[in-house]
Amino acid sequence: MSEPALHEVATLEEVDRDGAIREAAEEVRGDTRAAFLRKGGIVAGVGIGLAGFPARIAMAQGTPKSDVKILNFALTLEYLEAAFYAEANAKGKLDGVTATFAQVVGGHEAAHVTALQQALGSAAVKKPTFDFKGTTGSEGTFLKTAMALEDTGVGAYQGQADKIKTTAILGSAGAILAVEARHAAWVRDIIGAGHNPKPAPSAFNKALTMKQVLDAVGETGFIKS
Amino acid sequence: MTPDITPLAGFDKDGALQEASDHLERTLSRASLFRRGGLLVAGGLLAGSLPVALAGAQGVPKGDVAILNYALTLEYLEAAFYKKALADGALKGEYRRFAQVAGEHEQAHVGALKKALGSKAVKRPNFDFQGTTADQATFAKTAQTVEDLGVEAYQGQAGNIKTPAILRAAISIHPVEARHAAWIRSIQGRGSGQPSPAPAAFNPAKDMNAVLAAVQGTGFIAMAESGSGSAVDGAPSMAG
Repeated sequence: MSEPALHEVATLEEVDRDGAIREAAEEVRGDTRAAFLRKGGIVAGVGIGLAGFPARIAMAQGTPKSDVKILNFALTLEYLEAAFYAEANAKGKLDGVTATFAQVVGGHEAAHVTALQQALGSAAVKKPTFDFKGTTGSEGTFLKTAMALEDTGVGAYQGQADKIKTTAILGSAGAILAVEARHAAWVRDIIGAGHNPKPAPSAFNKALTMKQVLDAVGETGFIKS
Repeated sequence: MTPDITPLAGFDKDGALQEASDHLERTLSRASLFRRGGLLVAGGLLAGSLPVALAGAQGVPKGDVAILNYALTLEYLEAAFYKKALADGALKGEYRRFAQVAGEHEQAHVGALKKALGSKAVKRPNFDFQGTTADQATFAKTAQTVEDLGVEAYQGQAGNIKTPAILRAAISIHPVEARHAAWIRSIQGRGSGQPSPAPAAFNPAKDMNAVLAAVQGTGFIAMAESGSGSAVDGAPSMAG
């Protein structure tokens, strides 16, 4: 599994000027400053939204804080993916099946963002600003970067599955996990026509911890503030 | 999104799977299956797979054992399907490569599930793939159906699994099935873009009854091997 050709590698500390991402990451990692979680003490009616997540479940009584953190972690990744495809589509450098991939997948990631925002209600983290370092400007770097992001997304959801306490959240996360895996296999097949990289590189997919994911995202320098 | 699978429709003439499901339900209600294996085995993790003989360990709920055997039945089917397709020799190029790689994965899933279940593992059924492995186009459509179903099946059980180690293992297989499904869809879609490798933003899930009905509809499970504890006894009909 090769890394994407990212021109610049910056750490999260270097780019996170106002500390917003750090703060969000710490919340996500379970630090003690859980003020934004306490804020949303309203008990909202838990109806199942179109997209699968129960609406405003993060604010429902009995939903553990750790589940809220996992949802915000997922939302941060989905913001990043959605913005990446939106920028690639806007630049218009993609053709054929690659363009189709970017359009379809971009639509899915935007739908994931919306579903997670609805589930989180006022507990949702805000969308960061991104700098994709020119990776959306050519087909080659776009594809490699998309592969890295999608593989990371699969590992990220997988790594949280056994930590999710609320069954309805687990179900919805599973529905997204499978789709991220489909995206990853699809872009891998576009790159290598089934040879290298393999769309399914091993019999058991590797889970990533939250720290591994946040470190990998931090290293890309994609999150500006 | 279950694709239209004309070649698979209307085969299950003998109702063998349903019969086996009913039998399993009776067996489960007696719980004899589970009292048998009282051995407490250390649940050491294999590389990337399931804890060895976990199902024989004390404290593993019956429901988890049933889910593992359900998964094993589906993996037996997938592994046998690819093996037969490769043996039939009709696949070329990337279709053949897909069958080899996916076949190896399914076989690894079978091995991991059997080890986890130990003596509680259901036996492998006999299969009859109804000629679907004999030509490339039918193979591809069938592989797509089987893989999509596998994704939906694992997804439908995640919320029902009680043992964290089993959930972790199942959730490491689930995305691999999704990768297979996207891969065979991508191969078929060369040029046309259809079927889409990722047809929806949220993958649908299926409960056990829906999956077993779909499997039964294929007629792929031919008959149980002779003797007690036969293969399709393990295809549970418990409500998902």
